[in-house]
Amino acid sequence: MEEPTVRGTVTPLSSMFPVEDAQRAAKRVEDALSEKQQELNQVKEFIADNTNLINLVQKLPEELHHDIMVPFGKAAFFPGRLIHTNEFLVLLGEGYYADRTSKQTVEILNRRGKALESQVNSIKAMMQDFRAEASFFDATANEAAEGLVEIREEYVEENSSERVSDSGSIKQRSSSFSEADNTNVEDEEYARMMSRLDELEQEELAAEIDNEVDEDNQNQGNTAKNDKESDEDEVYARMMSRLDEFEQEELAAEMHNEVDEDNQGNTAKNEKDSDEDERAVTDFDQFSDQIARDHNFRHSEELRLSKPPQQTKDKKTSEDLSNNYRHQQDFSDQSCTDLTVQAVTRDIVKSSNAEKASMLPEVKENVGAVPSSKNESSKPGIDNSKVSAQISKPGFDIQKAFTGSVVEHSPKIQTSTQEQTETSSKASKPVSRFKMQRR
Amino acid sequence: MGSSTALRELQRELENKANDLSKLQKDIAKNHQVRKKYTIQLGENELVLKELGLLNEGANVYKLIGPVLVKQDLAEANANVRKRIEYISAELKRLDGTVQDLEEKQNSKKEAIFKVQQRIQSLQAGKAKA
Repeated sequence: MEEPTVRGTVTPLSSMFPVEDAQRAAKRVEDALSEKQQELNQVKEFIADNTNLINLVQKLPEELHHDIMVPFGKAAFFPGRLIHTNEFLVLLGEGYYADRTSKQTVEILNRRGKALESQVNSIKAMMQDFRAEASFFDATANEAAEGLVEIREEYVEENSSERVSDSGSIKQRSSSFSEADNTNVEDEEYARMMSRLDELEQEELAAEIDNEVDEDNQNQGNTAKNDKESDEDEVYARMMSRLDEFEQEELAAEMHNEVDEDNQGNTAKNEKDSDEDERAVTDFDQFSDQIARDHNFRHSEELRLSKPPQQTKDKKTSEDLSNNYRHQQDFSDQSCTDLTVQAVTRDIVKSSNAEKASMLPEVKENVGAVPSSKNESSKPGIDNSKVSAQISKPGFDIQKAFTGSVVEHSPKIQTSTQEQTETSSKASKPVSRFKMQRR
Repeated sequence: MGSSTALRELQRELENKANDLSKLQKDIAKNHQVRKKYTIQLGENELVLKELGLLNEGANVYKLIGPVLVKQDLAEANANVRKRIEYISAELKRLDGTVQDLEEKQNSKKEAIFKVQQRIQSLQAGKAKA
């Protein structure tokens, strides 16, 4: 990126579309538009006349005759009387007339009104087209006048090793984050498991208090007490081994019971115990499942963290005009992570409330790391990033221009993103910078 | 000196061609106007045909011929209008053909003019160098 290679061509827009030509074209379209407007007005007048006529024709047959002033020549009138008020001679067009009654005449006039309406609609559609055209020509003229340039560049795929070196620092950052997270999470998981284990033990103790009445099961109570006193670090192993012990003891107890056929009540209690043990095991499984899930989530987030910078890199190499689009995508990326974060936090709320408080800030930190790492990644290609930052400013122009053209503005427009404000101060003369690159 | 006479000749040629082109453009514009008129007439005739179709059998139909209204049979009027529509459609087709023809001619003329202009430019450039 840093080597001044000439990859694309930069052509000022004004060379392709001279300002005067664009303006002339815009004017012509405006003229056509006003013509259409006149036509529309005329048709609307026709419609008004037609409705008036309909009203008149409907009213005439209400009387047998009307006293009217008959026009005679250009300026003279004489009084007259209108008779046969329900007989009309209607001009159908092309010199054809027909004798019609009032009702039939109104029907004809209504049909004519409909035809006029359709005409109005078509004219309006045409006017809309013209308006779009006019706005386009105006925009082109303005762009040409402001000295926009079109940049065309071949898409060249970057070396993957280069990319890795660029994004390596980011990966390290993200991994350090996730490590811290992991330790934290493990602590919390551990605490949660411990509390759960305590619960289980209490339950067992309660069960064993019952059993203590039966002196057969005193050993079990002892082991339980021992467990409680034992070091907390080794609880996992102890739990498992204790379960084994339980089973063995029960087996032994059962054997014993088989021998002592009097103690039938004991077997029942033993069964109860074994049930409880099974429950413990399943609970334990659930825990480990959850841990695994959480780890998975961590992992996926790591991936997501390291991915966006690479993507942006790719896009920069392609020098795509869609830099603006890139920013949008970044935002959407961020929002995506936000969404997942929310989902995850909800999960955690389900499992334990205490964890939620410590989890949220971490996750936020992670999300915050995304934009900062992006800034880093954009630094290696300073020239390019500057260019892209400039290009991304006139977002609306990009949309208006033909596809495949990158439009450049002098930095008048205020930008919102951090990156843009950073670089816009440096890049005050965009055109000269391009010239430098072309050399 | 030879080059200057050639230049003058070329300029004369260019003028002639430009005149031809403007004539062609006028023709095309006229053709468009006629075409517009015919399309309007076609629309009107179709409207009339529709209305005639809606009239019942015994209705009185008149045709304005000059200053007088002449009573006509409904069937006759119908046939007349139909014939007129046919005629106008045929005319429109013909006009389309001529317009296309004229536009082709116009394009070839434009190209020719462009070539002449280029030749003039190259001649002038050679002169400036010499």
